[in-house]
Amino acid sequence: MYAIPYLLFSRLHQAAISARRRDRTWHYLLWSACAGVLAGLMLAFGASLLLLFWRVGLWPLALVVFAIMIAPVVAGTLTRHVFVPLGWLRFAFYGGLASKPGADGEAYALCCAAWAFARKPTAKGEKWLATHRDLRLPLGDAEVVVTGLIAAGRGDDATARALLRSSEMLVESHPAVRELVGEWLAVDAVERGAWAELYDDAMASRWPATPLTYFLEGIAARRVDAEKLPSALELQARWLLAPHRSKTRVLLTTSPSGYVARSTAPEPDSVDVVEPFAVETAPLPRAVAAHLALDVHAPTPSALATTVRAWDAALSDGATHAWLARRALELDAPLGAVDRALRELTTTVTDQLARKADAAHLGAPTSPGPVGDALARRLRHGRLDALETGFSRWAQRRHDGAVRSAIDEWREFVALHAAYSAAVRAGGMELRRLAFPHAFSTGSNMAAWLWNARNEYALSHAISKWLLAEALVVGDAEAIELGHRNTSLSVPTRLGNVEEQSSRTRD
Amino acid sequence: MIVDNPFFILGIPADASRIEIEREAQKLLGMLELGFADAMTYATPLGPQARTPELVRAAVAALRDPYRRLVAELWARHAPAMRPAPPAAPNAPAAHPGFRKQMGWRP
Repeated sequence: MYAIPYLLFSRLHQAAISARRRDRTWHYLLWSACAGVLAGLMLAFGASLLLLFWRVGLWPLALVVFAIMIAPVVAGTLTRHVFVPLGWLRFAFYGGLASKPGADGEAYALCCAAWAFARKPTAKGEKWLATHRDLRLPLGDAEVVVTGLIAAGRGDDATARALLRSSEMLVESHPAVRELVGEWLAVDAVERGAWAELYDDAMASRWPATPLTYFLEGIAARRVDAEKLPSALELQARWLLAPHRSKTRVLLTTSPSGYVARSTAPEPDSVDVVEPFAVETAPLPRAVAAHLALDVHAPTPSALATTVRAWDAALSDGATHAWLARRALELDAPLGAVDRALRELTTTVTDQLARKADAAHLGAPTSPGPVGDALARRLRHGRLDALETGFSRWAQRRHDGAVRSAIDEWREFVALHAAYSAAVRAGGMELRRLAFPHAFSTGSNMAAWLWNARNEYALSHAISKWLLAEALVVGDAEAIELGHRNTSLSVPTRLGNVEEQSSRTRD
Repeated sequence: MIVDNPFFILGIPADASRIEIEREAQKLLGMLELGFADAMTYATPLGPQARTPELVRAAVAALRDPYRRLVAELWARHAPAMRPAPPAAPNAPAAHPGFRKQMGWRP
């Protein structure tokens, strides 16, 4: 009966935290204040009871009170400020578990241990984490996040970023785990200066925000010159709420030297290329200058388009042909040297531009001409071939019976998903329509196999969901029908069965 | 076709005669043999490149072939002169190196 007030405070505290996770307005601060007050009340109540038991000599009961009433309140803070910085994996694990993160607390606890590993990586720690992760079947978001944080601890930031972001595709969602993902990505974005990326995440509410994430999102809004900026007072409040105040103060007080672009959308085609070379008027020198400018600057869609158009103009220009014919005669070049030189020039230029476009994930610009046509063909075929090889390899492994761990299956899917997205982003709708049938046939088979033979429900559901989204974009009726059927299945997870309403049902 | 252009390797104009080409190649090979610093690099519109005796011999061989000379001329004659790279954009996004470590997310 004496514990009733504590239980009440605890329930209210959990409710305030849950409400905070759904909000990114001033309510966030209100819910945080409520959660803080309730945590204080829980702590005061627990400490009073502990002292009482201690005074009357019931010290074993005092210890129980500490474990049940005080430890859950302070465990989160201890984990963040003591266990993680010291790299104490097991302490971080039990700290995470004690902080009562909700259903399936082990998932969050494992992520806290991985966080401690990311801070102080050791071979022993990695083995411990991998063992505990592999024991948890089927695959869920926590296992993916743990793998991402292991990669971060090894210094492989790109893999960590891809894996942490991929957890969004999984239907199993531990709010406390997603908060950690959001914080890692936010801090990583600040380190890279990717303010627009952080702002986009905030606008899409991709991850529930920790106080640190919420503060950084406010700074990001200022840096990208967002339409709706948090007021100075609100930003101060966010800063006060976030940990590491002495280190984040610099973000609050420093006004940015210049705002970065708000949108991460590709640059419009009309943007002029800044060429380091003199702008020529004759078509051929202009084409060569534009080509060399691509070597000097990072290629952009507009720079590539300018170069391709310049080459197409130069190669169809009568002056170029006349100059080549005259010089071929003067040099006593063999018969047909002019045509051969033009063909060789086209091939060389197309090869070089295709390499640059591939490296920068750029699409082929529209330019009817020898270079424009050849480049479009080359990029489309090259990207399609690469995608088909990847998907075929994935499908072949299932036929060979080469069973991999669930996390490796996920990593393969994430890599294929990234390759597909990059290819269709660069190649446009035409390439998307050509690439989808192969992705659909392989992906559907893999999803069915993972569901039926491997019991990897969340993984299978993520693949089906992605295929459905793609089918809707390309308008494949058969794939849409199958996708709706697959994604409407109830997905067993550790947090219970999850049934997502398909858009068709909603309609 | 720019950094390995025979005309740039030999440091001669695109309208150089055959005699000029041979003479310049012999001079460069001698200078490289003696280790002259001036001969160690050659200028291109994409910046200086390292010059070796093998490159010089290959360049001379290429220019003896009328067809290969024609292609080399096509690039060399129309290549722009090198201009200094523009200064870095003043409004570059402000990165915060070491921020992840400060926030306890990196070793």
